[in-house]
Amino acid sequence: MTGLFSKIFVVLMLGLAVSSASAGGDIEVRGPWVQSAPPGVKVLAGYLEIKNNGKQQQVLTGVSSPVFGQIEIHRSVIHGNMAHMEHLTELAVPANASVVMQPGGLHLMLMDAKKPLRIGDEVPMTLVFGNGEKVAITAIVRSGKMGGMEDHQHMDHSAHGEHKH
Amino acid sequence: MKNQKGALGRKGLAILLMAAVAIAVAAAVFVALRPAKEVVVKPPEEIEDYLFWEAKALTDFKLTGADNKTLALNDLKGKWSFIFFGYIHCPDVCPLTMGILGKAFNLIGKNPAAYEEIQGVFVSVDPQRDTPELIKEYAFYFSDKIIGVTGDTAQLDAFSRQMSALYTVHPKDPQASGDNYQVTHNSTVFLVDPQGRLYGRFPPPQLPQEIAEVFLKIRTFYNERARK
Repeated sequence: MTGLFSKIFVVLMLGLAVSSASAGGDIEVRGPWVQSAPPGVKVLAGYLEIKNNGKQQQVLTGVSSPVFGQIEIHRSVIHGNMAHMEHLTELAVPANASVVMQPGGLHLMLMDAKKPLRIGDEVPMTLVFGNGEKVAITAIVRSGKMGGMEDHQHMDHSAHGEHKH
Repeated sequence: MKNQKGALGRKGLAILLMAAVAIAVAAAVFVALRPAKEVVVKPPEEIEDYLFWEAKALTDFKLTGADNKTLALNDLKGKWSFIFFGYIHCPDVCPLTMGILGKAFNLIGKNPAAYEEIQGVFVSVDPQRDTPELIKEYAFYFSDKIIGVTGDTAQLDAFSRQMSALYTVHPKDPQASGDNYQVTHNSTVFLVDPQGRLYGRFPPPQLPQEIAEVFLKIRTFYNERARK
């Protein structure tokens, strides 16, 4: 009985460690993931949500990972069909608010991959905030292709099949 | 008074008759001399915004793929080609758009005849960093229907300008480490018809089902128009 409970507890804790991390209680990082790419691609994108549960604004000032030579905060901007990326030196997360990084917008630009990453691989990262706080997270490599809309797409598959000629 | 009125009435009637005859003759002459015009079929409203006002014949071009294979205008003929300009050091918008295109192709796959007629072309506008081999691997990753090509600046310009798909390679930031610089690019997916004409476009943000459904309607419209 205790054995089973402790097993469940360990699984739960592992799940939490992977999906979210918090330090000092104010900053919570949710659902970090890395967009998979062919093995030869050295530059990837990472996505996550930073939730600030505190009463003071928090500022993300840097991100590092042993798997990448350099990580920058970027924002994709599409203006008049032209796409480009803006490099942000820092990212403010207002008090009691969330900043969501997702495909087509804010993302972590992960550069100089030290090894090919495959779907399911774990990427440890450390987020550094302006107040000196460091938050360690583990991002999972997955075939985003459509980002968080994967499930949505499956629904559309069946809908499309119905009006096939 | 009465007589005068009657005379005027008859005269008026005669003028009216002559005018009517003149108009009828003019109309007949106009119809007879009107230049024979091809029947214009108006595209359905739901695809109108995706089509170019007039299909534009592309001029020949030359781009290079893996294994020294070249891509020219003739290779686009006989197929519907979905063309996307991007680069591999673009980790966000490019995989997003390529993934959407790959998914759209899977959806089009439910119509085997249409699926047979489609191909994707990923054009890297960053030949300095993207080798043809890596471009091929990258394009294939999203769909085995997408080929990857690039070219030198003159070749890329000659092709992309035909679609007004401008791109800008930004100078390298001297403080940036490694080989990091940015390229601004058009993230529209362009559609070239089986005659090698620029026919339609899917501007961002695209969705897989949008591309698939609109393309199938465009193809139906194109085939119907060809029969008329």
